[in-house]
Amino acid sequence: MRARSAIAPLMAVLGALLALACMLLLLGHDPWAATLALVDGAFGNRHAVETTLLRTGPLLLIGLAVALSFRAGIWNIGGEGQLYIGALVATTVATKLTSVLPLVLIAGMLGGALWSGLAALLRAHRGVSEVLSTILLNFIAVLLVSYAVQGPLQEVRGTYPQTDALPSAAMLGVIPGFQRVHWGLAGTLVLALFAWRFLFYSAAGLRLRAIGFAPRVAEYARVRISREIYQVFILAGMLAGLAGALEVTGVTGRLFRDLSAGYGFTAIAVAMLARLHPLAVVPAALFFAGLDTGAAAMQRVAAVPAVTVRIVEALVILFSIGFALPRRKA
Amino acid sequence: MQHVELRNIEKRFGSTHALRSANLELRRGEIHALLGENGAGKTSLVRVLFGMIQPDAGEILLDGMPAQIESPADALDKGIALVHQHSLLVPAFTVAENLLLGDRDAFFLSPSKRDQRAADWLERYGFYLDPKTRVETLSVAKQQRLMIVRALSRQVNLLILDEPTAVLAPSEVEELMRLLDRLRGEGMSVVFISHKMEEISSLCDRVTLLRGGETVLSQPLADLNVRDLAQALLGTDPPPPLQPPRSTPGELALRLDDLRAPGLQLSLELRRGEILGIAGIDGNGQDVLEEILAGLCVPEKGRLELAAPPVGILPGDRERSGFIAELSLAENLALSHAAEPHNSPLYRSALGMHWLLSQKLERATRAAITRHQIKGSARDLAGDLSGGNQQKLCVARALGSNPQVLVAINPTRGLDLKSTRELRNELRAHAEAGGAVLLISTDLDEVLEISTRVEVLFRGALSPLDSAEPSRERIGALMLGGTGS
Ligand SMILES: Nc1ncnc2c1ncn2[C@@H]1O[C@H](COP(=O)(O)OP(=O)(O)OP(=O)(O)O)[C@@H](O)[C@H]1O
Ligand SMILES: [Mg+2]
Repeated sequence: MRARSAIAPLMAVLGALLALACMLLLLGHDPWAATLALVDGAFGNRHAVETTLLRTGPLLLIGLAVALSFRAGIWNIGGEGQLYIGALVATTVATKLTSVLPLVLIAGMLGGALWSGLAALLRAHRGVSEVLSTILLNFIAVLLVSYAVQGPLQEVRGTYPQTDALPSAAMLGVIPGFQRVHWGLAGTLVLALFAWRFLFYSAAGLRLRAIGFAPRVAEYARVRISREIYQVFILAGMLAGLAGALEVTGVTGRLFRDLSAGYGFTAIAVAMLARLHPLAVVPAALFFAGLDTGAAAMQRVAAVPAVTVRIVEALVILFSIGFALPRRKA
Repeated sequence: MQHVELRNIEKRFGSTHALRSANLELRRGEIHALLGENGAGKTSLVRVLFGMIQPDAGEILLDGMPAQIESPADALDKGIALVHQHSLLVPAFTVAENLLLGDRDAFFLSPSKRDQRAADWLERYGFYLDPKTRVETLSVAKQQRLMIVRALSRQVNLLILDEPTAVLAPSEVEELMRLLDRLRGEGMSVVFISHKMEEISSLCDRVTLLRGGETVLSQPLADLNVRDLAQALLGTDPPPPLQPPRSTPGELALRLDDLRAPGLQLSLELRRGEILGIAGIDGNGQDVLEEILAGLCVPEKGRLELAAPPVGILPGDRERSGFIAELSLAENLALSHAAEPHNSPLYRSALGMHWLLSQKLERATRAAITRHQIKGSARDLAGDLSGGNQQKLCVARALGSNPQVLVAINPTRGLDLKSTRELRNELRAHAEAGGAVLLISTDLDEVLEISTRVEVLFRGALSPLDSAEPSRERIGALMLGGTGS
């Protein structure tokens, strides 16, 4: 059973890559050369590996958030917005209040939780579907950041739509042996491990899965569903908010408009490919990060448009859903 | 010639050997009983015949010709239909839509023509039901009739019924028997799975007995009476009926004082040491009462008073409320502790959270499996257990947190003879050990066998029976709304 559950995601990846190869053939490219360029661009040299790893971080964190939410039957797709608000709050705190790093990170988590908490409130009190509210909150978050970096938080110089650089005390250190990969990534891996223990070996994790599978049975077991739903929203928001905080404190050093390369959306694919298993989210995030990094190289080297990679991402989602379905319903 | 022959069917699910060498010979136009303990392989065998699972070995012969049944659709084409125990209807669709679902010809009919066609089918089998009714508003019995009519509308000549009577009231059972008898007259072959000897002996022509996935007996029923059947099944003489608990009722354990909720208005007192039996036909307020006792529904007036909360509850609808099919047996047991992990021995607190002690859970699960004789292991998914074993899992869950008050709703539904007796004994033991049992059951025999006291639930109200030895007739009359005197 265990061994077999890994097969479907691998099939999804292979299927998507095959489809990419066919597509490239049709477009008159050499699929082999393009694939090589892609892999080389993602993992071929030190710089590429570090870029891929840096992209893995937010995908991993939000992938975990999505996995936990979906397991509870909550279709929270607001990771992108929660990331932005997390980054916004963390930046504000770091530039205006304190440069104590843990406080900055906590502020980011609280920012993300605030944003997901809004969706939870709307669902609990107004019956608004979280699919709708989280999508809309994504727009609002992006616009808020956009306003902030051109208005109240804009750098003193006032040249670019971006904030001032964070004080260096509020920046994460680089892991020895790397040039850019920061300690946040290590912390993220620990969180994946923690999420796995939480989901499968804690009382709260069991309650979370129970409300996702069969809310009525959970109610019979005296689980308070609305409380659990709040908790899941908050937890997911904290993870996504942390992703935003790590992005500014570990990678960019400041906040600007296009901080996220669509991490909040790609993370949904990551979680699906991982079949909502926290540990599987790690390789799945690495895979999607590699695709993203390699795409640019593929465009450069093999002259294949990078957007084809977007198609692969979409195909992986479709294939993961396809292979995840039981062949025949008993 | 035989209509259907299953020869030496074998099927393994992982390490479980569900069918070892199962044989079934079915003659045309007979009602054939399939009998066996919980987990003997009855459901698996009929699923093979309906093409839902493929056997690992063995032969299927249809009208003497070797055949392969690839899928349920293939089975329907070959004239074989299976009616599952749980509803496979679309709740939001109307009767007509459900009835003609999958009927290619009906797809392009106008709604009125479709309703007319559905009405024709319903009438043909003496089932007068408005085709425009939405299925979710129908009772379980009516949904089952509808599934049968749907099967018949596919022009089948073999109807398989997996424990159809488990959820039916006695009068509904009689109605089903009349229908099956009529179908037999029209040449239909029927496979009938049931744990109730009386039904089998009064309805069926022949019986096949499965034990551990093997056919151990197959013979005409004319040669057997109810006692012989039970003996064949149990391997020993059936034991005498049980008695109510010997303990005398003590202090108050549960009280509902002038409780009011939609369709319910009653007062009730339950004391330690007793089994209070609440008899009643389904649909007289049992569902609302269950939800109030489980804490899912807050009454409009009055409240649930408990000496030692919470209650242990064995739900009436195990598929919907009793267990989670996608979780393992062990996790289902842990779930009863997960809402209040701070006072559970299965969890340890650290980092502000409660962490599962896996080995303790494993041990507790193994103990529960032994105690309740569940056929399965701790890591098996609950959904893979046989129907009766799922029920036993629900029992284990209800008793898992050592509740003082145990509410058992139709507790022996789907259990075989032996397990039924063991569970009733367990309810008695619970009362005798100082616990209190509220037994809500549509099975009057069950209520009378082990209850210290009996009350009758009719249209949401309770009528207590004051005489020490209430007569069956009197209770029967009260269940139908009579005065009982
Ligand atoms: N899909 C499955 N996966 C794993 N094991 C299964 C599966 N289906 C059935 N089994 C096992 O096969 C055995 C036979 O089950 P089956 O459902 O046929 O019993 P049954 O005779 O219908 O019992 P009951 O009277 O309780 O309904 C059981 O031990 C059950 O756990
Ligand atoms: Mg069965």
